[in-house]
Amino acid sequence: MFINSVILVLQEIIEAALLISVLLVFTNLFQKSWDKSFVLQTSWVGISIAIGVVGAAMYSYYTPQISEMFDYVGQEIFNASIHLLSLLLVCLFAFLVPSARLAKDVMGRAKFAAFCMTGIVMLAIVREGSEIIQYIGGIAGHEDNFTPVVLGGFIGAGIGVSTGVLLFYGLINLSVNWSFRISVGLLSLIAGNMGSQAVLLLTQADWLPFTPIAWNSSSALPENSIAGHLMYALVGYEATPSILQVSIYLLGIVLIVISPLFRKSWPLQHSLVGET
Amino acid sequence: MRSIRLFLVASILAALILFNFVAALQGYQSSMREADTLFDNQMLDLARLVSNLDLSNASTRDLRLGNNLAFQIWSESQLLAASHNAPALPLQNFAPGFEYVNFEGYRWRTFTRYEVPLDRWVIVAERTDLRFVLAENVVLQSILPLLLGIPFVGLLIWIIVSHGLRPLQQLSDALRNKGANDLSPILSANSRIELDQVVESINGFIQRLDRVMEREKRFSADAAHELRTPMSALKIQLHNLSEEMDTKHESFQQLQEGVDRMQHLIEQLLSLYRATPEQFINNCETVDLYAITQDQLASSYPYFEVKEQNVELIGSSIEIEADKFALETLISNLLGNANKYTPRDGSIVVSIDDLGDEVCLKVEDNGPGIPEAEKSRVFDRFYRVAGSDGSSRPPGCGLGLTIVSHVADLHQARVEVKDSSFESGSAFCVYFKKKP
Repeated sequence: MFINSVILVLQEIIEAALLISVLLVFTNLFQKSWDKSFVLQTSWVGISIAIGVVGAAMYSYYTPQISEMFDYVGQEIFNASIHLLSLLLVCLFAFLVPSARLAKDVMGRAKFAAFCMTGIVMLAIVREGSEIIQYIGGIAGHEDNFTPVVLGGFIGAGIGVSTGVLLFYGLINLSVNWSFRISVGLLSLIAGNMGSQAVLLLTQADWLPFTPIAWNSSSALPENSIAGHLMYALVGYEATPSILQVSIYLLGIVLIVISPLFRKSWPLQHSLVGET
Repeated sequence: MRSIRLFLVASILAALILFNFVAALQGYQSSMREADTLFDNQMLDLARLVSNLDLSNASTRDLRLGNNLAFQIWSESQLLAASHNAPALPLQNFAPGFEYVNFEGYRWRTFTRYEVPLDRWVIVAERTDLRFVLAENVVLQSILPLLLGIPFVGLLIWIIVSHGLRPLQQLSDALRNKGANDLSPILSANSRIELDQVVESINGFIQRLDRVMEREKRFSADAAHELRTPMSALKIQLHNLSEEMDTKHESFQQLQEGVDRMQHLIEQLLSLYRATPEQFINNCETVDLYAITQDQLASSYPYFEVKEQNVELIGSSIEIEADKFALETLISNLLGNANKYTPRDGSIVVSIDDLGDEVCLKVEDNGPGIPEAEKSRVFDRFYRVAGSDGSSRPPGCGLGLTIVSHVADLHQARVEVKDSSFESGSAFCVYFKKKP
């Protein structure tokens, strides 16, 4: 119970922590690199976490009703929709925030960026938080399981949050250019992972056709090993992904790579300062 | 703005939690493996014990063990003895070693042993769920303090980091509390190797700044002082000239005005120099602000008369602690300023109000007033507000209000520029601390 609890909570928390850290790095970079008047407050993190926790609690409360929808694949459809909506917000963030049109309206850009980031984090918390609530709520109710499950939950959450904090401070202490490049790179992996997860869920719901398996790496890195779980949380690793999943994963990466946000991270002058 | 304290506390705590928790997981896994070996060894002992049971005694043939344990003793295909919870069939194939089996709705760990001298097969079994829970409870007890200690470790890190950053805070306070004119070096009582270089650099910078400012002040004061003697000679020569030639000549009058302006500038430069904190010899005494203002008005009266201005003094006798000479300079400059910027036939009101803790000396006029954007600059040296038509300026050198500001600073008084109570014009208010 303890190890299962650690792995499940760590997997969910680390996904959210990675996302929040990368977006917080952008919050920090925008002020450094773009316009001094482009004041993006970090208050969006608190707001999105608060709304996300409430949303996660509501989602887990209504899960029985949701799963009965769409011929008993409601939960898969709902989760896939969350992933696709998050992907859409990531793309809006990457395409519109750095755009020249928004650059003229500094306040508008700050508000739009904060709106996108709040939405992305809120959806991540709803998704990951509901899974944690369902797991802990389902298992910890048994007296014998309570201590190992709760203890495991705290250990998993501690490792996940600490990784996020160290990643954030690690990234913001790099030079502006490298910090920007790595953050955009991580954002592209996050986008790919969101698309791939949505495809997997829609395939499970029979809304998308099954496609052949692209590769099988379960002997090299089994999904259920600790490293496999960590890789799943970090880059959405799957040992036997379908061709469609891999294609959508790559599409997510390509979307970020062709976005103006990616171009901003490779400036000709090797400096982002003053760029709009 | 990023906080060094938050960065240090958050990253140290995160690193500590990460390494400790990962170590705890590693410890959990190896402890569970050890516990498994320990339980297996116990089963070996149990099997040895059971194999030596005296089966002639009927009670030993149906032994009651705990619910988590079971055993069977077989000889060929005959069950010789068994625990109360063991099934009638063999728990395992008759092959020595450890195995797993399911019965009674649980999963059991079994150990089979062949006792050669007695020609018996002994099978002992233990419920895996119970031995796992037992092992996990023991191991988790060692992890629990790690988790409970995190808030205390966090608090401790916060205190240590705050203590470590205190010299930086002290340096920052020392710089913040430095007066505007205080160019003395920073003394670092609790010096730290890391901050010594910073303090040294700041002190070096202050020293250079002090030298530059001293040079600049001395230059203007020396220049003004040195110019005083030739200026006096020039005035005498001008006076002598006026006796000998036609003084109504335009060039002569312009020459006289030019010399007067220059003399005024020299006097103002010297007043400004005297009003610097380094030169100011504080001869504070109890003075009557009303009486001094009245004297200054009387001595400035000819200037008001020339422009036919209406001057009024409102108030009553009130005492403050001030340097009489400096206060006279302040008042005469305020009056001179009002005289210059108020048009012919204009009105000037000087009032002294008791505001409780403070005394307000106010000089207001119905001149053109000062545009809002320029109000903050009127105390700058050599700054002069343009005339009402935006181009011409009344005569003056732009030092009068700077002197007013310096003298006010020396008395810990504050000066404010407001709009006057007339339709147009400005009001200069100097708030002195009242004598306790």
